[in-house]
Amino acid sequence: MKKLAIPLVIGLIGLVLIALSFMRSKQVNVDDIDISIDKASFIMPAAHRVYANPDAMDGKYYLFKAKITNNTSETLEDVTVKYRIPNYVDWTELTVSGEMFPGQTLVVPCYPKLKNDITEKTTESVEKTEIEISWDGAEDDDIIEEDFTFKLTNRNEYVYTGIKSEEISSWADMYDNDALIACFVTPNDPIVKYYTQNLQEKLLKGEAASVTQKPEDAVRFLAGIYEATRKSHMVYSGTKGIPKSTEDVQSIVQQVRLPREVITGNTGLCIELSVLYASVLSAAGIDPIVYMVPGHAYPGFRMNGQYYAIEATGIGGEGLGNIMTAEEAFNQGQKQLNEFIQKSQAGDPRYTIVDIHNVNAQGVTSMDLKDNDFMRKKVDNIVASWSGNSLVQPNSPRDPKIRVPEPGIRTNNNALSFSIPNGWQTMMHPLPQMPIVTAQVIAPDQMTTVTIYDIAVSNAQQGMATINQYFSSYGMQVDYQINGNTLAGQTYSANGNFSWIGKVLRRQGGIRIVAVGTQDYMYNQNSGIINQVYNSIK
Amino acid sequence: MKSIINLIVCIALLSSIGAYSQSQQKIEMKINEVGNAKLNISMTMKAQEWQIWNSNYGNNPSALKRDIERSMPAYFLDDFKLEKDDMNRSFNLSLNAYGVCEINKRGKWIVDTEQKDAQLTELSETKYMLVSSPPEYGGNLQQTYIIELPEDAKNIKTDKNAFGKTVFEFDMDAPSSGFNFIRWAGILLFIVGGGWASKNMLDK
Repeated sequence: MKKLAIPLVIGLIGLVLIALSFMRSKQVNVDDIDISIDKASFIMPAAHRVYANPDAMDGKYYLFKAKITNNTSETLEDVTVKYRIPNYVDWTELTVSGEMFPGQTLVVPCYPKLKNDITEKTTESVEKTEIEISWDGAEDDDIIEEDFTFKLTNRNEYVYTGIKSEEISSWADMYDNDALIACFVTPNDPIVKYYTQNLQEKLLKGEAASVTQKPEDAVRFLAGIYEATRKSHMVYSGTKGIPKSTEDVQSIVQQVRLPREVITGNTGLCIELSVLYASVLSAAGIDPIVYMVPGHAYPGFRMNGQYYAIEATGIGGEGLGNIMTAEEAFNQGQKQLNEFIQKSQAGDPRYTIVDIHNVNAQGVTSMDLKDNDFMRKKVDNIVASWSGNSLVQPNSPRDPKIRVPEPGIRTNNNALSFSIPNGWQTMMHPLPQMPIVTAQVIAPDQMTTVTIYDIAVSNAQQGMATINQYFSSYGMQVDYQINGNTLAGQTYSANGNFSWIGKVLRRQGGIRIVAVGTQDYMYNQNSGIINQVYNSIK
Repeated sequence: MKSIINLIVCIALLSSIGAYSQSQQKIEMKINEVGNAKLNISMTMKAQEWQIWNSNYGNNPSALKRDIERSMPAYFLDDFKLEKDDMNRSFNLSLNAYGVCEINKRGKWIVDTEQKDAQLTELSETKYMLVSSPPEYGGNLQQTYIIELPEDAKNIKTDKNAFGKTVFEFDMDAPSSGFNFIRWAGILLFIVGGGWASKNMLDK
């Protein structure tokens, strides 16, 4: 028996060690799980829908993202990450990863769904986010807890940039949040809707720009908004806009009164008036644009690829003097727009536009606002003031006070002219490798173009053969039909199909082909502007 | 969840150079056995494109790094290395992206392509090619992705996620967790003890 005792003890110790090795493997050393948190310095309640949407602006507006690396020797199962913001977001599960192997990294971004009443927040506060990371079999002591603080601004605060001050190197960096101004554009606000309906009915006595898609109708509506603000004695006035530091971010923080506050308060700053115009235009189905220039902003709209603007601050105020008429304000806006186009074409990064519906499509949507009886009554009072004095006589199409500009292109020594929509860029001899291309005019969408070919041949057939020859050396092919002096065709290339229509014009020493078109899939959408340009070719 | 495909957009050209030129960009993405990726992006440009790219990013690589990080919020990126070849107007950018793959609740590894009906070409068992032309650039930029999944990936197939976008799905075992000294010592002692006891019993 004694002989068996020692080997049995050794075997038993072996068994114990084997059992221990399995028991130990299930114990995870929490210190070996690395956590790194990258967080936002502030959240703007006005943009709460942007922060909640992982697809908005390619997901760049997040509250935090956590990097979790499993540096233990064990596989973690059902790794769960959850967070909460006391008083704003209850415990919410962000992700569950089925398994997390040793060495594996899990990256979890957080897009918080703040409650809609966040838009009623009128004071700034510092809030805390709590994060919990757990996994299958984790004891209470194992659960990893992290937290951080961030600034929750009030609903009117607009922070121009979220880029850390040490990383700012350009004008665009200082105004990185330009697109978020669209969050202050509130066409669905019941008060803005009510104001717009009154404007359409009582001031303009009918308005259908979004239906007719005629720029003159839309300009009439734009002038109508101006008249409405002028008639109600709305005045230009400043609000607080001061530089503020939030941790590593230094930015100008502007108090932006919401359109409903501008309407009922009867006063606004340039950006606030721009946002009001954009809201009303959007509510009426017109594509609003806010033009951002150094130290100023003004509103306008885009229709059939053309851009228009008005100087909304022309209302001035009796205390400030110099109250412009709607015509003067529109002319001033158009003048500024021309300067804007020149500057932006010259590459000045300080001249930018916010195409409201375009950024809406990228997930930058307006805040939710509730109806308010008191504000409706205020709107009623304002509407009454419109007809209190002399009745507003908006422009009628038959007797336009405001002339809608029709810019054109004219070549110096050749008799060519056609209308170039506002905002389109003209490039002379844009393709040195293709000398037959005299000029190209490109729409802001970079898709729709007008191309002018001057070819030393005697007829359209030969002209198209020459073009085809050039194109074939770039892997492109043209299919076309000639009917008298008109052309229609498609260009096939690796970039896709390009549909176009054109005209053949006689010129000294050859012919000129003017083709206007766009990518195949955009042709229907842009057919209005294409036909307009085509019909203006002379 | 954003995909790695979006990463490259911000280093593409910011301006179209005529309607008829198209630039090519090559992106190689090699995913390792724990789901992180090594990326290599290379591109050769025309003279005018090179000037624009240099003024935006080439002369300010930190802006390039920042814009890539901001365009890829779903990942942590590091180890950026930019090599420029001014003579040939080309650059090569390499970086690491963490958390490119994740394991779903069914234990499957998932890589999101963020493309609907992505046209994938199988180059080898674990290597795929995807050609994309982002609409943001009006077809003026063609991107060729070479996606290399881990060598140990098995049962690779493409599927669609809840948004109808193409994803890679595959199985992969956990990497070996190293030598377990206690377990092997226990086994050794158990064998020695058992053998010794058996011998003593037989001697009896």
